[in-house]
Amino acid sequence: MSIASLRRYLSLASSISRLVKPSLGGNGYAASSTYALQTVGLNVYYGGRKILDNVNLAVPRNTVFAIMGPSGSGKSTLLRVFNRLVELAPNARVEGRVLLFGRNIYDPSVDPMEVRRQVGMVFQNPNPFPHLSIYDNVALGPRLNGLARNGEELDRLVEWALRKAALWDEVRDRLHEPATRLSGGQQQRLCIARAIALKPRVLLMDEPTANLDPESSRRIEQLIVELRDDVTVVVVTHSPGQAARISDHVAFLFSGRIVEVGPTREVFTRPRSELTERFITGALG
Amino acid sequence: MDGRRLLDKLFKATVVALSVAVLLPLFHIVGTIIYEGGRTLLEGGLGFLAGPPPLGIGPALAGSAVLVVLTTLLGVPVAFLTAVLAVEYPESLVGRAAKLLSKSFVEIPTILVGVLMYTLIVVPMGSFSALAGASALAVVILPYVYTYVEEALSSIPRTYREAAFSLGLTRAKALVHVFMGIARRGIATGILIGVAKAAGETAPLLFTIGGGTQTYFRGLGAPIDAVPLLIYQYVQMPSEAYHRTAWGAALVLTLLYLAVFVAVRRAVKEVKY
Repeated sequence: MSIASLRRYLSLASSISRLVKPSLGGNGYAASSTYALQTVGLNVYYGGRKILDNVNLAVPRNTVFAIMGPSGSGKSTLLRVFNRLVELAPNARVEGRVLLFGRNIYDPSVDPMEVRRQVGMVFQNPNPFPHLSIYDNVALGPRLNGLARNGEELDRLVEWALRKAALWDEVRDRLHEPATRLSGGQQQRLCIARAIALKPRVLLMDEPTANLDPESSRRIEQLIVELRDDVTVVVVTHSPGQAARISDHVAFLFSGRIVEVGPTREVFTRPRSELTERFITGALG
Repeated sequence: MDGRRLLDKLFKATVVALSVAVLLPLFHIVGTIIYEGGRTLLEGGLGFLAGPPPLGIGPALAGSAVLVVLTTLLGVPVAFLTAVLAVEYPESLVGRAAKLLSKSFVEIPTILVGVLMYTLIVVPMGSFSALAGASALAVVILPYVYTYVEEALSSIPRTYREAAFSLGLTRAKALVHVFMGIARRGIATGILIGVAKAAGETAPLLFTIGGGTQTYFRGLGAPIDAVPLLIYQYVQMPSEAYHRTAWGAALVLTLLYLAVFVAVRRAVKEVKY
């Protein structure tokens, strides 16, 4: 085979593989995948420090999955592995496989932006964009990702997201006020609306009630349970009580390792590990 | 009164005295400019602003306007992009180099920048020019604009950066729609500082724009005048008339500063977290 024809063959082969390669959007997933997320032999390092050590998890779809553990156990890092936000830290290194509906999101062919559109996130501190109005906070993601064809469609999407986040009735008359005028609990629900406006398949929540008053926390917890029908929710919490109240499955993370994982009822009634029992009863940090 | 209270009073008195000592010269300068320049401006009126020298500063004022616009066009985009590089890719070689170079530009005496542009632009073109002046000014304002923009962008709390990227935004989209919005006041201030510097600097213009011209703007390749250069040249003249014109020009420069600063800082509202 001459060099020229070899080159032609290779370029043809690569364009075919591009054609048949499943995209991350919708139909690219194996419909049979029962797990929204799976980690296989996951290790994460910051520089030379090992933050997560051989984490193996499976998050069933349309459930609430809680990751609980004391501070410094690596919970937030694990959550940021699921949307590749961990890569914002310049010295972070991820080993192992993370499957989103069966597809490894750390495969070199996967665009992290595409992953993040499928995997929304809500943060520990309510962080609506301070320079934008309530409406624009929710509309920004769909607008920049081309999810709405026109203004009317965008309006409908914003309303849908705000209703889902149980915030619509409180803000329908003040959509164009700055988001920072809302109370802490309302801001957090706005952040939930902002995340679900992209219609993600997984929603990550990093201690979403840690900085809220008890009443606001209760509303958010109720919301998480309701959201389960639309998305798979992975929620990080340092409170075993919260994990027990809202989750279907729970993993206990300690010093970067999974100590125990299973259905919430089982883990809380018959913990297999003494460490888990001490954490659940509050005897541990 | 015990010793501790006495010491406290003494300390306060010293701080107040030193503050006054620092501010007094500033007030004196501004006061003198308003008094002396005000006289010239009132006498000359519109003719002073638009007319030719020695009694008017028309060509110099027009020249300064051209230089400021040109300098902003040349310098601000470079400074802005360098700042973005340094903030978004702090670990990369380009990011680190940008940071180091931009900061060390502050240390270069501005007159040397003028000499550099003299050899790079004036000599090959065979003439003093607006272009050479603006290029020199652009280099001078670069580190100032850079520093402010970099400061503004890097002081955005990490949680907003994470939130922007968690929505699947590219770096460019996150920068334009989120980071620049949050940091808009700092960025605007940085650009203003650059504009103010460009309007007020004299040394970079000494070897570049020619100056002293009696005519208005004649093209980017032709000599041009500027208000600071006019002040510099006229105060050295023996005649009182030139001194009067220089005072008036100083007041105009000061008023322009104030007007632009107040206007922009009012227009660009601070983002409250």
